[in-house]
Amino acid sequence: MRNSRIKRPIVGKLLLYIGIPLLIVYSVILILNYFWSKDNALQQMKDYLVELTAHHASDLNADFAKIAEIPQLLAEFYVSVDQPSRPELEKILTNLIEVNSYISGLTLAFEPYSYERNTRLVAPYVYKKDGQIIVSDMAANGDYTCADWYSIPALLRKPYWSEPYYQQSSEPILMCSYSVPICQNGNMIGIATANISLQDIKRRMVDINIMNGYTFLISRYGTYIYHPNEKDVMKETVFSKAVKYNLPVMRELGRDMVLGKRAVKAFPDPITGYRQMIVYTPIRANGWTLSAVMPERAILSTVYALIVKQLGLMVVGLFVIILIMIWAAYSITNPLRKLVKMTEKLATGDLNVQMENIKGRDEIHELAMVFNKMVIDLKHYINDLTAATKEKEAVESELRIARHIQESLIPRIFPPFPHRKEFALFARCIPAKEVAGDFYDFFFLDEDNLVVVIADVSGKGVSASLFMAVTKTLIKAKSNEFSQPHKILENVNIELCRDNDSAMFVTTFLAVFNAKTGAFTYCNAGHNPPYLLRPDGKISQLENTAGMALGVWEDCQYSCREIKLQKNEIIYLYTDGVNEAMSEENEEFSYARMEAFLSEIREETPRQITEKSLQTVKEYTGAAEQSDDITILVLKNLL
Amino acid sequence: MKKNLILVIFILLAITLPAQENNAVKFELHWFPQAQFAGYIMAAEKGFYEDAGLNVALYFSDGSDSPLQKLADREIDFCTAWLSQTIALRSAGMKIVNTCQILQKSSLLLMAKKESGITSPQDLNGRRIGLWSGDFSIQPKAFFNKYDIECQEVRQSYNIHGFLADAWEVASAMRYNEYYKIILSGIDEDELVTFSYADYDLNFPEDGIYTCQKTWQQQPEICGKICSASLKGWEYAFQNEEEALQIILKYCDEYKMQTNYAAQKWMLEVIEESIKYQCGDDPESWGKLKIEDYNRVTGILLDQKIISSVPDFADFYRGEK
Repeated sequence: MRNSRIKRPIVGKLLLYIGIPLLIVYSVILILNYFWSKDNALQQMKDYLVELTAHHASDLNADFAKIAEIPQLLAEFYVSVDQPSRPELEKILTNLIEVNSYISGLTLAFEPYSYERNTRLVAPYVYKKDGQIIVSDMAANGDYTCADWYSIPALLRKPYWSEPYYQQSSEPILMCSYSVPICQNGNMIGIATANISLQDIKRRMVDINIMNGYTFLISRYGTYIYHPNEKDVMKETVFSKAVKYNLPVMRELGRDMVLGKRAVKAFPDPITGYRQMIVYTPIRANGWTLSAVMPERAILSTVYALIVKQLGLMVVGLFVIILIMIWAAYSITNPLRKLVKMTEKLATGDLNVQMENIKGRDEIHELAMVFNKMVIDLKHYINDLTAATKEKEAVESELRIARHIQESLIPRIFPPFPHRKEFALFARCIPAKEVAGDFYDFFFLDEDNLVVVIADVSGKGVSASLFMAVTKTLIKAKSNEFSQPHKILENVNIELCRDNDSAMFVTTFLAVFNAKTGAFTYCNAGHNPPYLLRPDGKISQLENTAGMALGVWEDCQYSCREIKLQKNEIIYLYTDGVNEAMSEENEEFSYARMEAFLSEIREETPRQITEKSLQTVKEYTGAAEQSDDITILVLKNLL
Repeated sequence: MKKNLILVIFILLAITLPAQENNAVKFELHWFPQAQFAGYIMAAEKGFYEDAGLNVALYFSDGSDSPLQKLADREIDFCTAWLSQTIALRSAGMKIVNTCQILQKSSLLLMAKKESGITSPQDLNGRRIGLWSGDFSIQPKAFFNKYDIECQEVRQSYNIHGFLADAWEVASAMRYNEYYKIILSGIDEDELVTFSYADYDLNFPEDGIYTCQKTWQQQPEICGKICSASLKGWEYAFQNEEEALQIILKYCDEYKMQTNYAAQKWMLEVIEESIKYQCGDDPESWGKLKIEDYNRVTGILLDQKIISSVPDFADFYRGEK
């Protein structure tokens, strides 16, 4: 099942980073291969056509040269002997035509009155008709002197290959003739002419078989003598076709041809417009041109077939590679997916998951192994944690109990002596930890004398609280034996110093307040000096007495002082948790701030003063953690 | 008696006058079918003669006969012929009349390859020049007289091979025919220099439609209809060149002519130029023989003593004025 959070799966990345580059490389190879194959095929075809046309042009050239020999021979013969009689001439011509099968007619045509003084035109003519050799006279057909075969070589005084022409008979036969002037003593006395049928040449042209292509033969003026399209023969010229199909390039080709050039060129098919390769070679004997035409599409068809095959192979190859990539991707992602599921299970708290059946020795296998180890480690850790938590919970529970016990050790009911109107008293202890090292206490020694204690054990936590409990108990016990504050503390100190291996100590302020007289006798064992608050707002610290914190030195001597509290005068007891309360900026609350606050107190009850004090400190410390126990005890004399 | 005589003459006339039944008309064109006769062919093919109520049978001369003689012999009713030839025959007594002068401009010219170094008429002096005989020789003679040219005149066959083979340095050609055959043999126009007789004040209007005087006198309407339908045929051919060419090529195939599309297209264009020469594009103005052309031709014919007297223009030309 596909995970919808996975936007780019690995299989996609494989296709992107391997499949597409592979496709590009394949395509480039294919394209390059196409061009190379194309060039190669065109070159091969070009070589083939050049050789083919050269071969056939050479054959034709040889044939025409051979034909030309006969009238040449006749002309030379005629002037080398005494003028033969007409029958002799006819016999010579008949013999020659019999021997030379490729000649269809022979003429010896004379200039007017040059052969016979009384006869204007004499032209013995021997020709073949239906296998018979017929003897006649060309003059019988009219004045031959203006016919091309006669007049042109006569004027030029040189041999002349006529343009092809149709010999009119039952079936028009394409002919051409070769005429040689007969010159005697510098005078042109006649023309020797051989006629040949072009049927043989036509048959030979037909036999030149170029698959998908064709050959054609044009005269020295561009007239088609042979063309696969019979309709063009003797009607069209290369140039008329150029006009018909509006192809100036064809005219240029034609010009090249009639000028006897040899070339290989490309030009568009007049009808389809497809590129064709044309090779043309001149036939030197008579100025004709043999051409071979091959459509490039035909030449390239094998290349196209090859490319299509390669394309097919490429598609199949790519398909196989894609399948392999998908398989490879799944072989990677399957265990990963399993791992994801396992991790999700793990996240829900199931520690019994394990990756199983991971094959191979690869990174995935390593990951699975690490995962399994992680699960086992996690399991151990969780077990350890559970045990530790249980232990902690037990400790915490015990601490809670200790706190309750501690809380029960110090009086918590206010007002503590509702029936006593001589004074008002309120106290609070806020531990920094579960259990406090601070404590306060008050109890009557007798009907009138109230003992008031505030103390601060060094350190915090359980040890401090235990020390506090001991101290408190001792104070209470010693208060039963002694009534003077310094005596009480001296004895408590002795007890505390005994077996005090942990070197703990406790600063203590202990006072005995006579509710009737307002006498306030106190002893300060290293504790912060309490404040005396007068109703007019004046404040003062109680003077210190001799002695140091309890538990430090067994032989320490303590003294006491006595003051008399006037009506509404207040004794403000506190521990250093108040003046040393730290702000968020790590700055102490300080005596100065405490005194400023205390100096504003006038009519408030001890409860109000205590709560206001706590609130002021709380506001000052803000979010900072409480660093020490805070204990405040306020006693107000109401008499 | 007198009445009977008139009746006999009338019957005799009816028997001897051809083309009376169903207005059947024999019309012979003076050469093989080609674009030179496109207008008549189109008039026949597109039914313009029929529309005029004429049943025209077109004939093409193969050069071995004389259509004008056949006209005189009443074997045919109409034929086309050259102006110079018909004036000479009229002057010699043949009662033929011109009913419509189709070609206004002479297409006859002399041409030479530029490589021969010929650039002006004077350069023709001493050159071997191919000339045709008969009517084709009148303008050359006048031209040579005019520019005092003495040259070697060679009888030219009706093809261009002698020129291509340099047997004649200069050759005669019809601009619509032989001249373009040279072009279609691979010689570019800019490789040739030409002397068009028409450009040297020797313009001889060529093809016109002729009939014998009697036909004209007896059936002037038919004469008019032949001319107007023929001109309509020409107008159609120029407006529908491709169609006309295809039809002409079909005729050429039937007559086994060794011609092609390009040649016929060129011919039609040159003929159009000749018909519209000094007349413009409006068919209404086509087909008229101008007195100045007549005078020019007769003047030269007199000069060359081909005619001894000039036939009266009004008697000779019966077409639209």
